[in-house]
Amino acid sequence: MAGSDQLSAVFSALADPTRRAILAELAERDASVTELTAPLSISMPAVSRHLKVLERAALISRSRSGKWRASHLEAAPLREAADWIERYRRFWDSSLTRLDAHLAAVQAAGPATDRMVDDPRELE
Amino acid sequence: MKTETPQLVISRVFDAPRELVYRAFTDPDHLVAWWGPIGNSLPRDEIEFDVRPGGFQRWTEVNAAEPDLRVHVHVDLTDVADGELLEGVMHVSGRLPEGIEPFETRLRIEFHDEADGRTRLEIRQWLPEHLAHPSEEGWRQAFTKLDATLMNVQAAAADHREVEAWPS
Repeated sequence: MAGSDQLSAVFSALADPTRRAILAELAERDASVTELTAPLSISMPAVSRHLKVLERAALISRSRSGKWRASHLEAAPLREAADWIERYRRFWDSSLTRLDAHLAAVQAAGPATDRMVDDPRELE
Repeated sequence: MKTETPQLVISRVFDAPRELVYRAFTDPDHLVAWWGPIGNSLPRDEIEFDVRPGGFQRWTEVNAAEPDLRVHVHVDLTDVADGELLEGVMHVSGRLPEGIEPFETRLRIEFHDEADGRTRLEIRQWLPEHLAHPSEEGWRQAFTKLDATLMNVQAAAADHREVEAWPS
């Protein structure tokens, strides 16, 4: 049954950005190591090692059909968790980009106004 | 307090003094200017902040395309250090987009000084309980696959010992 060590293995597998990128790719369709390597700036052996980690965490499975070995996203409950994390990552990324612009606008307007604007969006 | 590792960690540096970045999170007039998701609006009269340990931050997010979709966000603040730290549990409820159930997520936001008057934001967020610990049946399926996977790995290790040497 689900032990905390196994949970840790799953989440440490999810913690790596390259592995999340691979999972995001596999969420679209099954893919070979060659296909997964193309958009990443790392070597094919490195991608293979990441796949190994994901496979051990049961996040993916790999078929053997001739030379072409496809990786397939697995484990629906984990996929839901991965989706949630990705959604919040995107949420923070876009919100913090707007925060950056907001902070610049507030400072450009001067220290006297940064507390007094009714709607800071007017400054952007 | 839970000490589990957060599932989401974000670090970002802003070209603004720490006090101002902190205010962007704790002053309603600032928050409405940047808080997402994009396209949502935060009605000013539905924002209630009482920022202190044991206090709260509450607001409503209204979907621009579908104003009926109103999401209520209540953060119960467990730990607050003025200008330095906000930590609490965020409860998300109300009329959420399809496919999303109400949930709660623990959130910790640290504000750190950086060189040249800049500020580093460290955000840590924990998965909702039901996602971090899926139903027993969900895990049973996942770990049945894991067992099979591990057997395959062991079989493969006999042929490819160098693969096993890689620290995972």
